[in-house]
Amino acid sequence: MPLHAADALILRTYKLGEADRIVVFLTADRGKRRGVAKGARRTRSPFSGALEPMTRGRLAYFERERRELVRLRYVEPVCSPLASDSVEALAHVGYFAELIDEWAPEADPNEKLFRLGAAVVESLAAGLPVGPLARYFEFWLLRLQGVYPPVTACSRCGGDLSAGGRLEAGGGTLVCVQCAPPDEGGGLSAAAMAFLAAARAVAPLELGSVGLSAAADRELTRVHQRLIRTHLDKELKSLRVVQSLTRAPRGD
Amino acid sequence: MTELGPLQALVDQLQRLPGIGAKGAQRLAFHLLRQPRDDVEALVGAIRDVKERITYCSVCHNITDADPCYYCTHDGRDRSVICVVEDPHNVAAVERTKEFNGAYHVLMGALSPLQGVGPDELRIKSLLDRVGRGEVAEVILATNPNVEGEATAIYLAKLLKPLGVRVTRIAMGLPVGSDIEYADDVTIHKAMEGRRDL
Ligand SMILES: [Zn+2]
Ligand SMILES: [Zn+2]
Repeated sequence: MPLHAADALILRTYKLGEADRIVVFLTADRGKRRGVAKGARRTRSPFSGALEPMTRGRLAYFERERRELVRLRYVEPVCSPLASDSVEALAHVGYFAELIDEWAPEADPNEKLFRLGAAVVESLAAGLPVGPLARYFEFWLLRLQGVYPPVTACSRCGGDLSAGGRLEAGGGTLVCVQCAPPDEGGGLSAAAMAFLAAARAVAPLELGSVGLSAAADRELTRVHQRLIRTHLDKELKSLRVVQSLTRAPRGD
Repeated sequence: MTELGPLQALVDQLQRLPGIGAKGAQRLAFHLLRQPRDDVEALVGAIRDVKERITYCSVCHNITDADPCYYCTHDGRDRSVICVVEDPHNVAAVERTKEFNGAYHVLMGALSPLQGVGPDELRIKSLLDRVGRGEVAEVILATNPNVEGEATAIYLAKLLKPLGVRVTRIAMGLPVGSDIEYADDVTIHKAMEGRRDL
């Protein structure tokens, strides 16, 4: 049984038997794996606190011949979402994890996706505002999967999109305001386009200096959710909860 | 194989219980088969009793055989302090310490985006109603020290504080008897946050 050590992101866990957990994790070098963490539900388990979704850590696992489930030996957390202390941030932890889990196929190495996820946890832990971070994450995730339409030029006339654009009803492309048919949703203002232009160029930790108005956040959310729904062909479980928790029940 | 139908039906039922796999279910079924009839009747009776006599307290949502429950009615309990937990079995865990003499509120879960559990699925409104009646001085948030429990605690704190009640969170951090050297950064960070005066 060869032992592999890897940098990984924990995506989610399921209870197994009396005290164990099945852990779904994304490794930097070998893609998404599933493994058993023996005794993980005991208080004094070596895994305790390290298996929260979006925990980035150094872990080691044994491959088992002819078995899909690997056996986890240890997880040493490097960066944990538990460092963040807002409901909005903690609610998004599950959302980010679900998106990666849905998009990463088993055992298909995707280091860029790993790095995106790792950078996002780091930024969450550093206390970056979660709205811009979530839009940034969606933008890059969709881009890495090749489903984000080009954001610089109109797909019909090739014109500049910085004044604003619209996602075409069919779903696949962005067109400029001149080429866009009369309003049928999916509109992105100049502010939203400016955010996307910045998101292409900066690391998530630098997002603090990139502004995102509430209106532009809403536009991007609508467009991103349309793209996600079209390509996953389903509604994310976490989305409804995240939306109800970020609609801040009181004024603060 | 038809003569084994009842046995197979029992194995199937047992296998639906949490933590019991195919082998375990078979072992239990054969064990029951070998037991004296009275013992098996007692087990069946206990299972039926649980379903017929145990309900949820209409005040705190803990499991009880009398509604409202012992913690909500007994004179010896201080109902100005409410300990909020995720599940009924957490009440039993806090009670085992014999350190707490207040009342409880069971949320019936925690906020969990991955499971699709939002605020509307939890017993939050009844907690706010209890506190809103003004007889509560302190609410202790004893949800689990993980992402879901933390999110739930912070969410509740935001709703409770405007009601003018003291809101506290149980300490998170180092397990008793452990060594700081082997603790990870978040655990130490949380332990520092939860430090107290000596
Ligand atoms: Zn155009
Ligand atoms: Zn009660």
